[in-house]
Amino acid sequence: MTALLEVSNLHVEFDTYGGIVKALRGVDFSVESGQTLAIVGESGSGKSVAMQSVTGLIPMPPGRITAGSAKLRGKEFLGQRRLDGKTICGDEIGMIFQDAMSSLNPTMCIGDQIAETLEVHRGYSHGKAFSRAIELLDMVRIPEAARRARQFPFEFSGGMLQRVMIATAIACKPSLLIADEPTTALDVTIQAQILDLLQSLQKETGMAIVLITHDLSVVARMADRVAVMYAGQIVESGSVDDIFYRSAHPYTLGLKLAMPSHSEGEDHRLRPIPGSPPDMFSPPAGCAYCERCDRAMRICQSDNPPIFTLDKGHLSRCWQQHPQHTGASEGLYKAAPVSVDEVLA
Amino acid sequence: MWSYTVKRILQGIVTVWFIATATFLAMHNVPGDPLSSDRATNETIRANLEARYGLDKPLLEQYVVYMGNMMRGDFGISFTQQNREVNDIIREHFPVSATLGVLAVVFAALGGILMGALTALYRNRLPDYIIMFLVIMGISVPSFVFAALGQLSLVNLNAMMGFSVLPVAGWGTVSHMLLPALVLGLGTMAYLTRLMRSSMLEVISSDYVRTARAKGVPPARIFTRHQLRNAVMPVITVLGPAIASITTGGFVVELVFAVPGLGRYFVQAVQQLDYTVIMGTTVFYGAFLVFMVILVDLVYGWIDPRVRLK
Amino acid sequence: MTDQALTNNQTAAGAQPVRTLRPADFEALPPSAPTTGIVRPSRSYWQDAWARLKANRRAIVSLYIIIFLMLFTFVGPLIWRVDPALQDIDQISQGPLASRAAVLVEPFERWDGVSIDGGFGEGDGLRLAAQPTTQQVRLFWDPVPSASSYSIYRNHYEPQTELVLGLPIASITRDGISWYEDRLDLRARSYYYSVVALDDLGQRIGSPQTVEANVLRVITRDEVASRGLVDDPDALQIGDAVKLSLHPLGTDYLGRDMLARLMAGARVSLFIGLLAPLMFVAIGVLYGATAGFIGGKVDQVMMRFADFVVALPFLLFMILFQVVFGIGPGESGIVPMLVALVILSWPATSRLVRGQILQIREEAYVSAARLLGGSHQYLIWRHMIPNTLGVILVTLTFAVPAAIFTEAFLSFIGMGVAPPTASWGSMCNEGLKTMLTHPHELIFPALMISMTVLAFNLLGDGLRDALDAKMRNSV
Repeated sequence: MTALLEVSNLHVEFDTYGGIVKALRGVDFSVESGQTLAIVGESGSGKSVAMQSVTGLIPMPPGRITAGSAKLRGKEFLGQRRLDGKTICGDEIGMIFQDAMSSLNPTMCIGDQIAETLEVHRGYSHGKAFSRAIELLDMVRIPEAARRARQFPFEFSGGMLQRVMIATAIACKPSLLIADEPTTALDVTIQAQILDLLQSLQKETGMAIVLITHDLSVVARMADRVAVMYAGQIVESGSVDDIFYRSAHPYTLGLKLAMPSHSEGEDHRLRPIPGSPPDMFSPPAGCAYCERCDRAMRICQSDNPPIFTLDKGHLSRCWQQHPQHTGASEGLYKAAPVSVDEVLA
Repeated sequence: MWSYTVKRILQGIVTVWFIATATFLAMHNVPGDPLSSDRATNETIRANLEARYGLDKPLLEQYVVYMGNMMRGDFGISFTQQNREVNDIIREHFPVSATLGVLAVVFAALGGILMGALTALYRNRLPDYIIMFLVIMGISVPSFVFAALGQLSLVNLNAMMGFSVLPVAGWGTVSHMLLPALVLGLGTMAYLTRLMRSSMLEVISSDYVRTARAKGVPPARIFTRHQLRNAVMPVITVLGPAIASITTGGFVVELVFAVPGLGRYFVQAVQQLDYTVIMGTTVFYGAFLVFMVILVDLVYGWIDPRVRLK
Repeated sequence: MTDQALTNNQTAAGAQPVRTLRPADFEALPPSAPTTGIVRPSRSYWQDAWARLKANRRAIVSLYIIIFLMLFTFVGPLIWRVDPALQDIDQISQGPLASRAAVLVEPFERWDGVSIDGGFGEGDGLRLAAQPTTQQVRLFWDPVPSASSYSIYRNHYEPQTELVLGLPIASITRDGISWYEDRLDLRARSYYYSVVALDDLGQRIGSPQTVEANVLRVITRDEVASRGLVDDPDALQIGDAVKLSLHPLGTDYLGRDMLARLMAGARVSLFIGLLAPLMFVAIGVLYGATAGFIGGKVDQVMMRFADFVVALPFLLFMILFQVVFGIGPGESGIVPMLVALVILSWPATSRLVRGQILQIREEAYVSAARLLGGSHQYLIWRHMIPNTLGVILVTLTFAVPAAIFTEAFLSFIGMGVAPPTASWGSMCNEGLKTMLTHPHELIFPALMISMTVLAFNLLGDGLRDALDAKMRNSV
């Protein structure tokens, strides 16, 4: 079975005044229908750029996709507006963003903004689209939908606006929903409500979700599969259990240690990862995480590690997974035998 | 919205009162006796004038008389043209200035919005560079130079064509209005273009435009429904002061193009120390500007839901 | 899997060079402190702003232009020591780079005309009796038998039709006179003289006759001496060439040196353009800061008053104040204009500063500083002033071109600086009258205004961009 969305070897650059930023340096991932893929990583690691370049939302110029492919149900669509007579953005793929307040047009009423998607993709009349918009607001559990549809974004709370965003995104029943940090700006109770909503909508419609986040608790709650990004590359990917219980990359370990946890004792201290991500104007020749890694080896400085397939669907980009590495790898999951993936970046 | 409107209008009335008072006080500090000029040498005429304007009474009483007249909309009679009411002068010359001003404002607003949007869309490309160069010219070159250059080129154009393409000066027909209005609106247009450009650039990179693109809305619809509407908002807010600067900026254009507007008449009145005309014109202009600004604010409030619904 | 397998695999992928991995490659690196930390040197806000300003080429060019203007205004008159009020009547409305040559001639002598019989012989219509000079142009023509009078016209261009002959300069009604001497305001250029014969009823007889006169600039020995053009006027011979005084940018309609006047005008324009903004920005800052600090009722009342002042129609009140302050004879009107500008312009700055102060007061970092026990003094000096200074500086930079414009505008409509004081605006006003024939009299002052305004505007743009903390990481 082919995956719903399959992205491979994606390279993206940005021209800036300081030089060329290599934002993505060979990114592969795939999502299947009904599944949720979480892309995790710190700010600037390229999570949002990856999804926005797939959907053509990065501004070009200065952005540029230098290599790669993105397939929807096995059909290439990278750089295209439409696929099989359907518009990709808004119709096949719905998107929601972090800051719902600024992501909605301040001078257009809520109903019109939802209805616009239907008018554009389904050719609905304004009246029909608007009444459908009210139904959608109902669906995302906004009370008094008919009255609220005539209101403007500034009259809504942050959580409500995120529901509006979701209603807009699912208006055309997309097969894939990209949620770019959908709950980052919300407080915890609202966060839970939005995540619940996303999950129940997924159950109803069977759509796939790509969830971009830096919050591991959101990942644990939502994801089927996880891809950990660092400096424009995916350093580890696998099922939720793989990532949380069989972490095979020091960066994943570092992220976990930096996260508050109930299971450790009272005196558990969060351990931040020292240093900061590398300068993306000139990414290092070796492993990008090498400088911050407490188990760095000689080879990490000189060569970027290839992708090692540990188990089915569990991949890691760390030299410690190499069969020749014989030293201790305390805490790091290693599976034997390992195989080196065919694709080397 | 209604209480807001009423509040703004009341504020406007108080502001006009302030302007009238400031004008009154300013004119009463003019050195010398307003009637001491050779125009009123005759004792009887002088006495009549003094009685009519209450000049022989104490300042406070004069002020009351003045404000009372003003409230009834009576600005008095011209000093230099004895049988002409200031109201008549305003009635005759203001429509000319207003026509010129309105034309210039429309011209400046449309041109500014259009060119500003264009430069933002073509950012850092040739159309942007060309328009921004013109904008810098428009901001740096004084309007009288534009007026002079416009007239000069029109003279040459007419001479070249062998017939009058557009009249060089004067007033009366639409063709008389075009060049003066263009010149008058040019500076404001340059300013509005800059404003529109930065506003549009902000909108283009805004999150909600990204959302619209994520919704798959075609670019043309994004431009009209999302970008233009939001980018125009800050331009509308400055339109009130822009109208003010254009209407008073009309003085120069009226002088250069020999347009019989109120501005030119005001300058003339000042040169002749025609007190009633000066006071009347100032207060009238002040009231006009105050209410134009209020009008623009109200229009803005009506357009922007964030203001309308508060 | 072996070394060999991996190497082959990599070769197949073609992404990395062939390389054999050795056990040494897998040796742990000695634990070292991450080399991150501070990579770039830390810079203060103002250093940062200055660096960003320096990166803005337009702003830097503008800065140079402003420096040049200052030199022009203050050092220029020390180098170019020509009195801006001195009238050079030999060179009136002279364009820049015009020829300065003049020929020494005898003083003017009366001319009693000629008679056609008197030796000049038969000719063809209208003729020149002598070399036309700036002293005089002497014309004569064959009498037209039935003519009772002649009209004489002068034109700068060759007349295209018989109806348009130019400036009517004389009408000769005396019998027997068929000559004319023109001494009216002659310049070193070509003139076209036309003569029309008229009958008793004033009807034209025949076609007008036209002659071209190329006027030669001449000067007498006395004039050379009085103007000090050469060291020893007596040594000159009649017919010698004399160079008139130099006017690099030409002269105006009164023969005054343009360069000297531009410098004098710059003093006035920049005096108003710099001093007025400095004064009203200072007042505005004080007023706005007071209102912002005190807050409450006082703030409301103070701002209400500022709103009133803003509502006054600016230009009308500028003119009104000019009248109120009364420009007496011999006064330049500079001080009244300065005062009027300050009185009318301060509220905009005060509003801005008040807004800024109110905003900063609510900022989290100010609350934090207050919680940490920062004194009032500390808050003002460490947070309020540095954070408003940028805005004030930008306002000041944009206020300069606005003030220069206002001065020019008022002087242009004759409501500003009174003649004979030169300002760029009043020079434009004078230049407008001769725009068609001598455009340089308008162009130079207009250019100075435009250049100054442009430079200050671009510098203001650059400053605004450089001081905008939001953009701090963009360069």
